[in-house]
Amino acid sequence: MPSLPPTAGPARAPCQVAVAARATIAGRLTEIPALRDGGWPESTPALPRRFLRHADEQTVVGMHAVLAAIATIPEPLEQEGHGVIAASCQAGRIAAAQTLVQAKQGGGVTVSTQIVPQGSLHSLAGALSVGLGMRGPNIGVSGGPNALPEGLLTVFSWLYGSGPAACDTVWLVITGWDDEPALDADGRSTTDPVCRGVALAITREAAALPVGGQHLALQFDPPAASRCPATTAAASLRSLADSVTAHDSSAAPLEWSHHMPWGGAVRLTAATAAHGKEAA
Amino acid sequence: MDAIEQHSQADREPVMITGVGVVSPVGNSFPEAADALLAGRSGVRSIDPGPFAREPVQFAGAVNDIPPPDAAACPLDPTAFAALPRLDQFCVSPIAAALVDAGLASGRSSRRIGLVLGLGAEHLKAWEADYLADGCQVFAPTCSPTLVQRLASLFSLTGPAVTTAAACASSGYAMALGRTWLEAGWVDACLVGGCDTLSPTSLAAFYNLRALSRRSDDPTKASRPFDRDRDGFVMGEGGAFFVLERKADATSRGARAYGELAGVGMSSDASHMVAPCTNPVQAARAITMALHDAGVAPNEVDYVNAHAAGTPVGDAAEAGAIRLALGAAADRVPVSSTKSMSGHLVSGAAAFEAVACLAALAHQAIPPTLNLDHPDEACNLNHVPHEARPAAVRVAASNSFGFGGSNLCLVLRAA
Repeated sequence: MPSLPPTAGPARAPCQVAVAARATIAGRLTEIPALRDGGWPESTPALPRRFLRHADEQTVVGMHAVLAAIATIPEPLEQEGHGVIAASCQAGRIAAAQTLVQAKQGGGVTVSTQIVPQGSLHSLAGALSVGLGMRGPNIGVSGGPNALPEGLLTVFSWLYGSGPAACDTVWLVITGWDDEPALDADGRSTTDPVCRGVALAITREAAALPVGGQHLALQFDPPAASRCPATTAAASLRSLADSVTAHDSSAAPLEWSHHMPWGGAVRLTAATAAHGKEAA
Repeated sequence: MDAIEQHSQADREPVMITGVGVVSPVGNSFPEAADALLAGRSGVRSIDPGPFAREPVQFAGAVNDIPPPDAAACPLDPTAFAALPRLDQFCVSPIAAALVDAGLASGRSSRRIGLVLGLGAEHLKAWEADYLADGCQVFAPTCSPTLVQRLASLFSLTGPAVTTAAACASSGYAMALGRTWLEAGWVDACLVGGCDTLSPTSLAAFYNLRALSRRSDDPTKASRPFDRDRDGFVMGEGGAFFVLERKADATSRGARAYGELAGVGMSSDASHMVAPCTNPVQAARAITMALHDAGVAPNEVDYVNAHAAGTPVGDAAEAGAIRLALGAAADRVPVSSTKSMSGHLVSGAAAFEAVACLAALAHQAIPPTLNLDHPDEACNLNHVPHEARPAAVRVAASNSFGFGGSNLCLVLRAA
């Protein structure tokens, strides 16, 4: 029986990409209804009217994070070619619980046509693509405790990616609850947890950014032999959000890193674009 | 710091498919599924739709029995396997089969093998199955490991493990991601594929959306892609997985290659969360990108496995996209939809339809579109109705389009 040869792949050099825009958003469950119809910066692209009315809570928060990040960009980005990777954790649980309770009582006629398109792992990515006119590829990843590392690895995969399938800028949007909502027997939450979202617009390299512009650099050191213990989804997402927020609010040095569960690590640091394009 | 490397098709190490595992409505191995698809056998039948049934009779591409995993590759005994959720079974069985087929049933511990699972609604399916068995997982404030994490642990895989979701294109994106990992040298081999399972909630939701065929008088006639009398898709279930390896690695260990995963194209319509986009430009762009990625001209394509699920709008839009991407070659290139036999495997569809393409490469024949009695004028393509067509097949393209406007095209090339 043939067996695998010794490792013979290409050299596994570190990869570095630039974060062109970023924002973090956090909102309690009870605050999310107000976020469905507005509350985003006026300078951002207009969403179709009532676009988020059926959206899952994590989609609402993720959309706000992207809009807040777009609002920080001095020059409007050409978003049409952007890709979207949305890494959520157990999105759609409240809607699923209520759907199941209603269906058990009232049968299949009560099952909403929105439960699949708005309550799946792909829903946030699809909403960002449709709502903001992004026509690069869009996918959801993970759905569970490894949302952050799975999202980060997929970003590097796409930006590393060969040939015409790759895109130059990818929005990585990571969402999750600090504490998962506790639901009663009718599927209503009995707690008011925080839903958190981090949006990062990631480009292949800093050359796309204005000269002298401050940005974040994201470096991936590919898998080494050892594996690292997994952290919880909430802890890793909150760690990233807190680091970015502290840096943006106080210019504190940024040195955030995340050890991937399969080995390898991702580091996020502040950087200056020294060789980028001339400012307009 | 090294810049991210960019590879062109010319200097890229080809990525080969060296193992196949499949559990589907038309067969539970590659030979079985290939034979059924080329014989034009339908796997669509009447089913028990469960507690949320909208009609007394419903039908689907259902799997009767999921074979236990090959013991050479998987430590689960048949009893433990039978206790797994059905969604897990649709992964465990074909993954074990793909590993055995690739000659990697054992001796994997020293190699970094990755796993990319295309699956769009894992939690919805899991919560539903648990709830209908009187469980309460959906109400509990817990967060358990995902299926891809459990599979990586079960099969002792030490490479990265990621779930990808792009609705009906999910498993195609999984295949694309695994190929990239191999090109990057992040893994030595990669298991890629996807699965889905029938569920009462999804059947009811798609029924309420009027997306499902309601032709209940004869289930085998219900899935009618490109036919003027099509009235919606037929849901299916199953799983298909592949072992991918760099060509040099596969060659050096004497592994058989079914074909090369030669090209990938991806785009989004940015049109609507549910409705198919009637403008074919972005879907055509995905096809064109995949051909360019593979270094293939439109007139070199020998077969297109269409996404065509049998919906009135979607099939016509795809026909337009194929014409736009292939140009004049569209008059010559045979096109078929194997969903006419398998039903729509949703998250697993792209992977299963890659199996259909491998069948075409292996047997030098184009699988047919069943029930294509009266081709719709709005779907003007070189159809292969009713019966397989013998043909020289060296390059096959497979389209997958999903909710949220995700477009994906894979190009598979003979080894």
